[in-house]
Amino acid sequence: MLLVMVGGLVIHHYVSKEEAPPRAFTELEFAGADTDHTGSCYSLSTVLVANRTTGGAARTWTKPRDGAWSLMLDAVTEGYGGPVRVFQKFTFEKGGNQVRLVDVEAAKGMKTGIKENVDELLEMPNALHSTPVDRCLSPGAAGYLFVPRR
Amino acid sequence: MRIVIFTATLLALLASLAGCKRSLDERDVRAFIDKADNTARKRFAPEICELRGKDFKLHLKFQGHEPRVPPTELDMDRKLFCKEAGNFSRLRQYELSRNSIGISIATDRKTARVIAEYVETMPYYEPNTFPRTLDDFREFQVVARHDESIVGIESGDLVFLSTDSESSQSLVAKGSVSLPYD
Repeated sequence: MLLVMVGGLVIHHYVSKEEAPPRAFTELEFAGADTDHTGSCYSLSTVLVANRTTGGAARTWTKPRDGAWSLMLDAVTEGYGGPVRVFQKFTFEKGGNQVRLVDVEAAKGMKTGIKENVDELLEMPNALHSTPVDRCLSPGAAGYLFVPRR
Repeated sequence: MRIVIFTATLLALLASLAGCKRSLDERDVRAFIDKADNTARKRFAPEICELRGKDFKLHLKFQGHEPRVPPTELDMDRKLFCKEAGNFSRLRQYELSRNSIGISIATDRKTARVIAEYVETMPYYEPNTFPRTLDDFREFQVVARHDESIVGIESGDLVFLSTDSESSQSLVAKGSVSLPYD
């Protein structure tokens, strides 16, 4: 009986654990929105932290398919008519040594285009001069919208 | 020695199972709602959240103070509800009054439907404004709320399984209400 209960607890622990992408995925360089997928010089985790996606909204990771992860950000804002639910769901996919934004779903009135979302996601790490990936540490390094530190 | 450990473990498990609820009565549900209301008054998110089941759903219909603007409607799952409960804790003035409650227990005594009427009073911060302090507001909002909830037993504890809430907001001048800071 004890064995069954311990087994049940172990299964519950693993089943109820929330999904999240491995570091090997989030540490990949976030790709730009150009046709060549020029690297942005920032890892996906740096982009997400700089955009404070760990803050105000409820966040949920799901895995739609192998090599891809979706991040749902869900929040409630106060409108003039009352509380309104706002959400954004970003799907990122591994491509070579990069991770690309491949799909955006969002609440009514929010941007869903890939380029505008990639550009917007890169505003904060550039403004904050977040730590770039190794290849962009040297002077003169180039990246999509990347603003090197002077 | 092994038998002693096994017996002690078994007794501990049986004791914890004995504490688990198997069926509901009206007194349990009323006590649970009283506890939930007091928890809301404390505005401490983890305790508010603890009283919601793992698949808790809230449907909210909210009529703002402008009657010309149609009501907003939204659905929240437990995760979003708990996140919002965290924001609620920032309020320093809040009053919750329950005006009525009706409880009906399901025939299997596993769940109960609770219909309750509340009035909440709290500061009104206009949307898209950035108050400099928590006291930086001009009006209080008075929200009349009609809640229909299903409560049930989950892992031995009574929890809210779902709530369907209809609210109507009105604004009153800040000076016309006296709410203590807590």
